[in-house]
Amino acid sequence: MKKWLVLFLMAMFVFVLAACTASEDAGEETPDEGGESTEGTTESGGDKILLLNNGAEPTSFDPSIGFDAVSWSALNNLMEGLTRLDESSQPVEATAEAIDISEDGLTYTFTIREEANWSNGEPVTAGDFVFAWRHMLDPETASPAAFLAYFIEGAEAFNSGEGSAEDVAVVAEDDKTLVVTLTAPTEAFLNIITNPSFFPIHEATAAENPQWHTEAESFVGNGPFKLASWSHDESFTFEKNEEYWDAEAVKLDGVEWEMVNDENTEYQMYEAGDLDVSNVPSELSEQLMDSPDLVTLDQAGTYFYRYNVEMEPFNNKKVRQALAFAVNQDDIVQYVTKNGEKPAYGFTSYGFEGPDGTDFRDAAGDIVKFDAEKAKQLLEEGMAEEGWETLPEITITYSTSPSHQIIAETLQDQFKQTLDIDVKLQNVESSVFAADQKEFKYQLSRSSFLSDYADPVNALESFITGSSMNRTQWSNPEFDQLIADAKTETDSEARWQMLIEAEKILMDEMPIFPIHFYNQVQLEKEGVEGILRHPVGYMDLKYADKN
Amino acid sequence: MALYIFKRFWMMLATIFIIATLTFFLMHAVPGSPLEAERTTNETIQANLEKFYKLDQPLHIQYFDYMKSIATFDFGPSIKDPNRTVNELLERGFPISFELGIITILVAVISGILLGTMAALRHNKMIDYAAMAFAVIGISIPNFVLATLLIQQLAVTWGIFPPATWKSPMHMVLPVLALATGPMAIIARLTRSSMLEVLTQDYIKMARAKGIKPIRIVLRHALRNALMPVVTIMGTLLAGILTGTFVIEKIFAIPGMGKYFVDSINNRDYPVIMGTTVFYSAFLIFMLFLVDIVYGLLDPRIKLHKKEGDV
Repeated sequence: MKKWLVLFLMAMFVFVLAACTASEDAGEETPDEGGESTEGTTESGGDKILLLNNGAEPTSFDPSIGFDAVSWSALNNLMEGLTRLDESSQPVEATAEAIDISEDGLTYTFTIREEANWSNGEPVTAGDFVFAWRHMLDPETASPAAFLAYFIEGAEAFNSGEGSAEDVAVVAEDDKTLVVTLTAPTEAFLNIITNPSFFPIHEATAAENPQWHTEAESFVGNGPFKLASWSHDESFTFEKNEEYWDAEAVKLDGVEWEMVNDENTEYQMYEAGDLDVSNVPSELSEQLMDSPDLVTLDQAGTYFYRYNVEMEPFNNKKVRQALAFAVNQDDIVQYVTKNGEKPAYGFTSYGFEGPDGTDFRDAAGDIVKFDAEKAKQLLEEGMAEEGWETLPEITITYSTSPSHQIIAETLQDQFKQTLDIDVKLQNVESSVFAADQKEFKYQLSRSSFLSDYADPVNALESFITGSSMNRTQWSNPEFDQLIADAKTETDSEARWQMLIEAEKILMDEMPIFPIHFYNQVQLEKEGVEGILRHPVGYMDLKYADKN
Repeated sequence: MALYIFKRFWMMLATIFIIATLTFFLMHAVPGSPLEAERTTNETIQANLEKFYKLDQPLHIQYFDYMKSIATFDFGPSIKDPNRTVNELLERGFPISFELGIITILVAVISGILLGTMAALRHNKMIDYAAMAFAVIGISIPNFVLATLLIQQLAVTWGIFPPATWKSPMHMVLPVLALATGPMAIIARLTRSSMLEVLTQDYIKMARAKGIKPIRIVLRHALRNALMPVVTIMGTLLAGILTGTFVIEKIFAIPGMGKYFVDSINNRDYPVIMGTTVFYSAFLIFMLFLVDIVYGLLDPRIKLHKKEGDV
């Protein structure tokens, strides 16, 4: 009797499990409908659909608003500015077919291609650029990228609410001619305008519907791809844009973007074939370093530590230098981060070529490199200068994250090993950390810098007096002057020397010490090629292919 | 009954008001601002942004604005995602979280009760030991560990299920399994012990003596009483499943509400923090209220209001 009952309950249990399975089978029909494209990729001669992960919902596809990689990696392929970065990360003509620069380097005349069209078939006009750039500078827009346009005459005044839109020196002479006047000759200008915040906006669409960029249906772009669908917080898809002036060069038929915000899940989806490109989860970086799928490229950015030069003991330059020389950057990248980064022996990263073709970093040389003897000696001298018997207490502060923690712990250990000083560690939640660092509350705190545009001046100007990126209370008139001069210097050789000089002052005065430069490490499935990633700039899929 | 519900309703409103007030002052007490970023924008732009989100207003004015927005269920635009209102985020995320939660609860309750009943009926036999060993494992493994194991084995190695995202019922299997195993194990253990107790009682012996079919005894007479403790812990389990979805949604890239809840705090996105917290707490309080009512329906001895209650 009891046996019968148990059998029945067992049967029920199996039935419930089976019911789950049954609905799973039923579910397979759903991907069939929307999944044609996925199937197509496996068939030869089918559509070429690249499967990517965007990590999160794009902040905004309004070119003026989404100041981050989750917005601009995608937008960079939906729209196109006057210039675009080529394979060697140099700006070349894109929507503009000709660029004329006046002798004094102040006036740029862009001729827009006749065949440059919006995805709705209408021609891209100079007026679209004027509209977009004024939109970015409009104080009402509150664009976080607006400062990038301050090179343009009248831009800063308009953005800070003092000038008017008409005074911004961006003029459409006719439908296809755009004239821009700068406040000072800026070598990097053609590079700066590859940034998505300088993309045009289809004026008629935006005038009719200010929310045009929030849905796939209303989105109008002029890039190699068009936005086919957008399911918020879930995924979005691209289709090749046949209206694009260079559509022939575009090899992919489409791109499907997921929004997976967990690096382990992303990697597992890559393993399962649901993604073509993946980041490397930090726990696996060591074992994946030799993977044939791995692509490692430079990124213009620096991981560094800031001293507070008003707090003891870092008011003393030699003590600052002593700690900096006690840091073994090679050991950190080799045994701690294990992600293939380049150790940083100076502040400005690799990836900026000077007029003579040498990299800025090589020209400036290895300024801060681990030297135990020198560090000990500097510490002694520094303490003697200040008359300290024992070194004031030091606390290293970092924002809570395992990757910051292991570096901070390594520093603690290296200071102990080399200088025999005990430092304390303190971790702080990241938003609190950012706020407190700006208020100079920390003695020694971690930081990072990523370039906004491809010029060393962008990195170095962070440390001019009063810059909101300074956060060290360090001020040096000579350094300030060099940066100011470099910004107006027309001779590129002389400008380059000024920047190298500025870098040397920064690394001698040492309000900061560098740890490593950033890099971009990605896994790409076999057959995926042609994805462009630049040291400064966003992912470019125009020439990408998938076989 | 009506009076009880009416009273509970006002209690619920008062609770939500206190939660909203505490949340508001706590989130403003935490250093950092929604506009804070590693990359600093210049002061003019910062001021423009602050003006746009009314963050330049004194705190008490912001507080009254928030209270007004809660009363009207209009939380305004998100700061991180300025093109969308908090209401839109809730409308988009909640149905998905709710779907995940409901399926999880159904799976956990049905399989937990089945497992527990089977174990009780085969007390001290193999099935009992197997079921309880399974339950102990289920309770001990945190759902995020289980989730990773499931993805690695069932999705990556064997390729049976898709590893992540939320597109078809096939995609739901792994997250539901990961989330349901813990509650299922708890329910199974509870059902087993209370079933064992009930089965020894006189009225069950009586029923057997009358020759009622065993299946009927279990389903009709024993289970109904044995389920009382299960209903009691449903409230706690619900809270557990709701918070569990935060982690599971992140691991499986499910576009539910958990992300907004966690991200908003990291971003200090005040309107979203307020919206999600108030919404979640209101939902949870409401569910606990429902559990209380179900409790009364299952056991008429439990009076929902004590005034008239005499035996």
